[in-house]
Amino acid sequence: MATEHTHWTEQSEIHALGALDGAERRDFEAHLAAGCAVCESYLRETRETLNLLHRSLEPIAPAAAVKSRIFEQIEKENLAPIGAVRVKTPRRWQRITGTIAAGLVGLVLGGIYYRAHYEPRHTLYSSVIELLRDPTTRDHTLYGAGPTPQAKGRFLWNESGEGHIFASNLPAAPEGKMYAVWTIAQSSAPRYVGTIKTDAKGQGGLHIKSPHSDKPIETFAVTLEPVGTTAAPTGPMVLVSKPS
Amino acid sequence: MADEIVSAIQLIQRTATQDREAFSRLYDRFSSLVFTLAMRMLRGRDDAEDLLQEVFIQVWRQAANYSQERGSPEAWIVNIARSRAIDKLRSIRRMEKSFTLTDDPGRAESAESVESNVAQSEAKLTMNSALANLPEAQRRVLELAYFDGLSQTEIADRIKEPLGTVKTRMRSGIQRLRDMLGTRAA
Repeated sequence: MATEHTHWTEQSEIHALGALDGAERRDFEAHLAAGCAVCESYLRETRETLNLLHRSLEPIAPAAAVKSRIFEQIEKENLAPIGAVRVKTPRRWQRITGTIAAGLVGLVLGGIYYRAHYEPRHTLYSSVIELLRDPTTRDHTLYGAGPTPQAKGRFLWNESGEGHIFASNLPAAPEGKMYAVWTIAQSSAPRYVGTIKTDAKGQGGLHIKSPHSDKPIETFAVTLEPVGTTAAPTGPMVLVSKPS
Repeated sequence: MADEIVSAIQLIQRTATQDREAFSRLYDRFSSLVFTLAMRMLRGRDDAEDLLQEVFIQVWRQAANYSQERGSPEAWIVNIARSRAIDKLRSIRRMEKSFTLTDDPGRAESAESVESNVAQSEAKLTMNSALANLPEAQRRVLELAYFDGLSQTEIADRIKEPLGTVKTRMRSGIQRLRDMLGTRAA
């Protein structure tokens, strides 16, 4: 079953090729500028896939003179990387010890940074893309309600129990409160599936992996709750999949 | 693969601090890839070398702007190269079109065939793996977009097929590439 978002992911593939034009391009770029994390990650992933195209070409080595010309241009025009700060050239022993220390620090920090920052984000993007690729995944629009009528959102949901919620225009929860996310199956009590936090721009997202439900989920909702409330919703609804 | 990416990221980060040795290693690592792409797109060694120089000057200048959240170093550098090459190609086409309209109505076709001959004789590029494994119709639209910098509308016009057909072929081609990479692209 096609999701509401299929159109945009298809456009993102053509955009990654550089072939989108006219009004379609303007619309897609406006959609991206609105902060669509799904399309952003899909675009990124498609670009990585397209690397296969130029890798398919028989490699041709450039003339050695080109590299010399580049360094000559940098020296001649005194080009510096934008934002770089010029530093005094250190003494030789300082350079050697500095290089070793920097190398060790770089290795450690690089590893930590990669594991802490890049790897989880990449894993998250991949999970969302996998979710989108699954033809049984549904895309539900979330509507603002109660104290936050301006809020918007989308809920990608697969009946396996995996899903992803995106929220926008939802102000950060007040002190001592949280936004609880619930799935509600037919004639069943709401099930707490996680807490979503929004940033200063009112945007937030949460990847969900919950146990499989025998009954299909009919409603998705976010409520404003006292911190720690997970048994049942008690506060006002701020986002819901069915407009009231 | 992850180690290679992290290593290239570190080279870019060091380049942003004016580390020439890191920049040199970055060049050694990606110059052949960029030059090959430039040869395929611009179809002439001089133009390809100019583009290679422009790309790496931009990499030197904008290394601090690189963000790994937006893609791998390879995708970032290739994107710079393709954007610049496409600008050049479109500029050339505008000039050719202008020249054709005022001079010789039959020139558009002949210019195209000259381009094609040059591509075959000078670039001497051979395809393997991914491209060669795509069905001809899908490969053609992907090549026209990726290497020749044509938009979807221009491709439809060039191959005289409906726009919808062009889009479908593009998406099918990309899907096949994804399949070649596995179920989950890196």
